[in-house]
Amino acid sequence: MRRAVGVFLGLVLVLGVFGPVRAADFPTKEVQIIIPWAAGGATDLVFRALAASTSKHLGKAVVVVNKPGGAGAVGYTEVMQARPDGYTLVTAVTPLTILPHQIKTAFTYKDFEPIINVVEDPAMFQVQADSPWKTLPEFLDYARKNPGMITVGNSGAGGGVHLIALAFERTGGVKFNHIPFSGGGPSITALLGGHIHAVSCSPPEGIAHVKAGKLRIIALFSEKRMGAFPNVPVVREQGVDFTMSQWRGLAAPKGTPPEVIKKLHDAFKQGMEDPAFVKNATDMTVHLSYMGPAEFGKIMAQDHERYAKLVQEIKKQ
Amino acid sequence: MDVLASLQYLLSGFGVATTPENLFYCLVGAIVGTLVGVLPGLGPIAGIALLIPATFNLNATSAIIMLAGIYYGAMYGGSTTSILINVPGETASVMTCIDGYQMARKGRAGPALAISAIGSFVAGSLAILCMVFLAPPLAEAALAFGPTEFFSLMVFGFVVLSNVTGASLLKSLMMAMVGLIIGTIGMDPVTGNPRFTFGAVSLLGGIEFVAVAIGLFGIGEVLANVEQPTESLEQQVLVPRFRDLYPTLQDLKDSLGAILRGAGIGFGCGLVPGPAPVIATYASYMVEKRIARHPEEFGHGAIQGVAGPESANNAACQSAFIPLFVLGIPFAPPTAILLGALLIHGVNPGPMLISEHPNLFWGVVASMYIGNFILLLLNLPFVPLFANILRIPKKVLLPLVMLFCLTGMYSVNNFMLDLWVMLGCGALGYLMRKWAYEGAPLLLALVLGPKLEVAFRQSLMISHGGFAIFVERPISLVFLLATVGFLFLPLLRRAVRSLTRGRAAVA
Amino acid sequence: MAAGLALLLFGAVTAFLSLRLPIGTLRGPGSGLFPLALGLILIGLSVCHLVELHLTATTPPTDTEAHRDDGSAWRVLLFMGVMVLGTAFLTVLGFPLVAFLLMAGLLYILGVRRWQRVALIALCSAVASYVLFVRWLQIPLPKGWIGL
Repeated sequence: MRRAVGVFLGLVLVLGVFGPVRAADFPTKEVQIIIPWAAGGATDLVFRALAASTSKHLGKAVVVVNKPGGAGAVGYTEVMQARPDGYTLVTAVTPLTILPHQIKTAFTYKDFEPIINVVEDPAMFQVQADSPWKTLPEFLDYARKNPGMITVGNSGAGGGVHLIALAFERTGGVKFNHIPFSGGGPSITALLGGHIHAVSCSPPEGIAHVKAGKLRIIALFSEKRMGAFPNVPVVREQGVDFTMSQWRGLAAPKGTPPEVIKKLHDAFKQGMEDPAFVKNATDMTVHLSYMGPAEFGKIMAQDHERYAKLVQEIKKQ
Repeated sequence: MDVLASLQYLLSGFGVATTPENLFYCLVGAIVGTLVGVLPGLGPIAGIALLIPATFNLNATSAIIMLAGIYYGAMYGGSTTSILINVPGETASVMTCIDGYQMARKGRAGPALAISAIGSFVAGSLAILCMVFLAPPLAEAALAFGPTEFFSLMVFGFVVLSNVTGASLLKSLMMAMVGLIIGTIGMDPVTGNPRFTFGAVSLLGGIEFVAVAIGLFGIGEVLANVEQPTESLEQQVLVPRFRDLYPTLQDLKDSLGAILRGAGIGFGCGLVPGPAPVIATYASYMVEKRIARHPEEFGHGAIQGVAGPESANNAACQSAFIPLFVLGIPFAPPTAILLGALLIHGVNPGPMLISEHPNLFWGVVASMYIGNFILLLLNLPFVPLFANILRIPKKVLLPLVMLFCLTGMYSVNNFMLDLWVMLGCGALGYLMRKWAYEGAPLLLALVLGPKLEVAFRQSLMISHGGFAIFVERPISLVFLLATVGFLFLPLLRRAVRSLTRGRAAVA
Repeated sequence: MAAGLALLLFGAVTAFLSLRLPIGTLRGPGSGLFPLALGLILIGLSVCHLVELHLTATTPPTDTEAHRDDGSAWRVLLFMGVMVLGTAFLTVLGFPLVAFLLMAGLLYILGVRRWQRVALIALCSAVASYVLFVRWLQIPLPKGWIGL
């Protein structure tokens, strides 16, 4: 019995010390990025790639931790209450400015210090390739004549693309029938199967199918045309003055010292410019769009106001 | 695509898969997968997500080979703790607990472990074959399932599977209701309104299924054991004798049918969106119980009760790759992560994947076959080792199990609430044991409930409130009719029987 | 019997709470519709169950699970109590320490009395799980003030 225990302890010590190489570069003070959603989403992928490339430039490991729950509320609340020492960060994405209007959260964007914005993805509407509406004017025309008949799927009630669809309704003067799904994937599937007429989404959702010719982008809500699809006009070019996109960046709890923010910002900026990361991003068809802390903060404030009004509209319905 | 071309590609795929480095990655994936599957709570999702960064420097094919290996490896590993200590290693292993653990208590842990490995291998291999030749048309068929069809399918599944284990239909239905109600806690998936959260942010995400599963089954069992007289705590669960470590020929014969049927059921389930492996295991158990010659054995250590579900969950896991690769749409959370991994490596899953990256697709398919084989080789020799874990006296084993559960549970979501739910369900499971209520219907309801509700409401939204949509759409109609038929079949049978008896009496 | 009543209560509470939520109509179902229906069904089923029990009531089943030894119920309570304490202090004390204390406590309750044994097993388990989860699998486990 004693011998077995001795051998066991010995093994444990040996393995603990000489464990897999990764164990060795796990210092006591790594930087954690909290992602308030389950693993596998677009945010998750982008920031896992970014964490990997930034570790080199920061000199310490950058670790991604998922804390899903409450459509993001759980993760954001936790980071808001974390120590503002720069070791706990959170991915700040558009829903941060939407959620506080929908449910009583303990936080708003003001409880965080913006560090850097990494990605900005345009929202879009897609339809089946053989759908009867070939251009945006046709689509809107039909919608005006048949209010509430066109079913538009989205990745979740009150989520970014849902609100973008609602805002588009108001600008375009039409009314759709919004069908919520549990995520971008299911909404695209429903469109492919012909169960809904159109879908409101943002890359990389549906992109592969557009490239394969099964789906078509009928409305693109960005400022400029997408590099991958030069023949798709943006909505502005077609007479509807509307642009809206989702941003994904990093933030720290309020009160984090400015020097720490600057250090983090510089390291992540270098990580963003790292060729390996750039390649990853292009492959994922996500649109890199750097914004510094001040600019990022302004965008958050703007969107917070914008969505406040939109959410009020939904609540009235 | 025609069969000959497929075969050619498959052969070249084997060429890709058998390079030394890809074999290595396959092995690593399989091992990590097994480990991840064995640890309660930690499932393939976490395992894959954790290893994605490690794959950044690899080429796409090797990366996917490794990550895919984790997924089906976890299915192999999950059965180990289910059988040995009644703790489901991950969600798809819940059914294996039921008969697997009973077999362990009778000293037949070895055969149970071995059969689950063998069944998994056979089913996995068959599924891969089907995948190779039937992938594109099957994927297209899966698209035909919209919210309406999905709802009817789930109603059918729910009704059929609710009374899968227990004797009392009423009690099972009540448990199912409880499960459905628990499933509503959290944010309403359709409108985003919080339900039953009492303002607590931590409840917004709902109750974690794994926490309930581990609590009801694992911890409930531990507590039931703790209650036993102290002398029994000195003992081991049961000491397996060496010749009992491997299945007998009779065992193999008994299991063959179950394995094949499980493979078929699992394969079908994997194609449909949703937590396919879980549903597949329930369905397989149900089928086996229904057609068994000795149904009373089920729940007390029938080997088909292990062979069927284990085969089903592996087959479901393999066929889940079809929608992923062919449509680019993940139908289950682990495949969602794999999608991410594909994207990071610059491979855009979708209709173009097979034509743009034939080496990747066929390489991965071939490596799945190799991976299944590796896992069989890995798991079988370890059977005696694992079975010997049961030699540890209960008074040491039980605390270890608790620690295990606690750690594993936390590692899923890093969420304290999960731990409390787990403990609460542990107490609940203990009480349920005393009062003869079954946990399986509750878990099934917890899984299916939210999706059922969402599908129902989505359908009504699409049809602007018209209920006709459920019978207008052909697939949906079929399932609804099947449900009605299932419910009234026993009544019909009785009616027919009494009629014929009446006639015989007259004659 | 107790179970039947408990379920009845559960159903009633569910139905009651769901009335506070927007029910909507069948055309546009609100958040509360589904839970309300579930609560009502559960009430119905529990009533059926209780009625069935009443009708088929034979002599109350003798407590075949008569306490084998007087410790049994206590043990279960203590066992759960230690788990609850351990979980409560997990974030405060950090994982390795709680693992050690938890194991020690549970082992003691189940009858391992030689404290050297208890300490040794508890230590091995805590260390092994730490190495496995935190080092090898890189899973963040609560750190506590010790900072491990």
